[in-house]
Amino acid sequence: MNAKIMNRSELIYHIIAIVTLAIIIFLFWNFSTDKPHVEGEITSDLAVDDTSSLIDRYLYRMIPILCGAGLFSIVIALYLEEWLTQTTWQYRIIERYIVILAKVPSLVYGIFAVYFIVFHSQKVLNYPLLLIAILLVMPVTIRSTQKAIQSVDISVREAAYALGATKLRMIADNVLPNAFPLIVAGICTAISRILAIVALIVIISNWINSSNIFTIPKSAVVLISSAVIASIFSSILDYKQVT
Amino acid sequence: MKPVIEVSDLKVFYEDTQALNGISLDVYPNEILGIIGPAQSGKTTLLKVINRTLEFTQGTSLEGTVKLDGVDINSISDVHGLRKRIGMVLPLPVGLPLSIYDNVAFAPRTSGLRNKSELDEIVERCLQQAALWDEVKDRLDSLGTKLSGGQQQRLTIARALSHKPEILCLDEFSIAVDPITTMRIEDVLKTLKEEMTILLVTNLVQQAKRLANRTAFMLNGDLIEIDETDVIFSDNPTSQSTYDYVNGNFG
Repeated sequence: MNAKIMNRSELIYHIIAIVTLAIIIFLFWNFSTDKPHVEGEITSDLAVDDTSSLIDRYLYRMIPILCGAGLFSIVIALYLEEWLTQTTWQYRIIERYIVILAKVPSLVYGIFAVYFIVFHSQKVLNYPLLLIAILLVMPVTIRSTQKAIQSVDISVREAAYALGATKLRMIADNVLPNAFPLIVAGICTAISRILAIVALIVIISNWINSSNIFTIPKSAVVLISSAVIASIFSSILDYKQVT
Repeated sequence: MKPVIEVSDLKVFYEDTQALNGISLDVYPNEILGIIGPAQSGKTTLLKVINRTLEFTQGTSLEGTVKLDGVDINSISDVHGLRKRIGMVLPLPVGLPLSIYDNVAFAPRTSGLRNKSELDEIVERCLQQAALWDEVKDRLDSLGTKLSGGQQQRLTIARALSHKPEILCLDEFSIAVDPITTMRIEDVLKTLKEEMTILLVTNLVQQAKRLANRTAFMLNGDLIEIDETDVIFSDNPTSQSTYDYVNGNFG
């Protein structure tokens, strides 16, 4: 009986995973063959060679979304690991979705971002911000938070429970402090990915709006440098936690 | 005398494996009950059933009853309250990711105690009882996980004492502690039994002989014998396997 239920749930989340991938491939194909712009009509507010302008126009709007997405991701990861039993079908479906989204290469999101922001920035400026936040930041942060929570030794939980701690108290005082470096490492990775994508958008915008395609805007250099620093910081935290 | 813990026909299963084969025993107030036996005999499982930490192990089930002061522990809805009444020290030290002070103050704080002077008093008393105060009194703000293995184990003992449990379960507490400190803690346990009941699981039969009022011998999930410690360690225990075990003929 159990085996039958397992097979059915396996089948369901495989179908959902395939449908999700199909939608992504369809959208990718759709916009890669689309020609939305006419020569001289392209206007992107990212096509600027000025870091302060870029921050004013774009990154300030991203910061609250990124913070919200990061915090929401931690809450989702905590719910998955602490309240939802790993053997339930709900856990498996959500887990599979998150794994798929987290493993999609940044380049795919980058192409989406270029499409929406560079070619449709006047119409749907806030929509892609949210989309990028959800698709790019949340899966990575949820995965890293899950791994961080799983890395906390069961004996620490048992020790806290044996002292009469409630679940919330145990999470606040024992799980989160232990998992914190890995959670921050995950957030840094997400930030690094998103900075790299924004850099890509800036470079493409510049190419479209400039006759000299070999010029890389200062803002893109700043973004790429920041992405590299975020990656290094993430790796250091990851390494320290492992060792 | 009315027992504080009554275990009746307790069977515990880890999925398909039976760890306890229907054991029954009583534990009386203010005694030290030594529980001895070789590995895989169900000693730790028994302790985990009593303070309901067995629930964290997936795939476990149990039959029979365990009563605390006449109340079936599995019918108690306030499991956190139950665990506050039953302190637990695990074989290997588990330092919570908190300072030494906060480790010891953790349980009183979960009970709602916020008064700094009272917490200070509890921390000092418990660290002294665990023979750790002199070594850490100048660095109470240091991380508990940075202490040595033996110090962490004593910190674990101090933490278990911090909420003044009615029953203290010690699961091979001295495995990571040096012999001198073990003797100091044993002296503390002899004093503590005036205030609480102590269940002492140990692989060191001589430790049970030194400390326990009564001793239970377990083997392969069965309770072979429970009696006064003097009887268990005499030349005439009821069971031959008890005699063989305490005399080092096996195990």
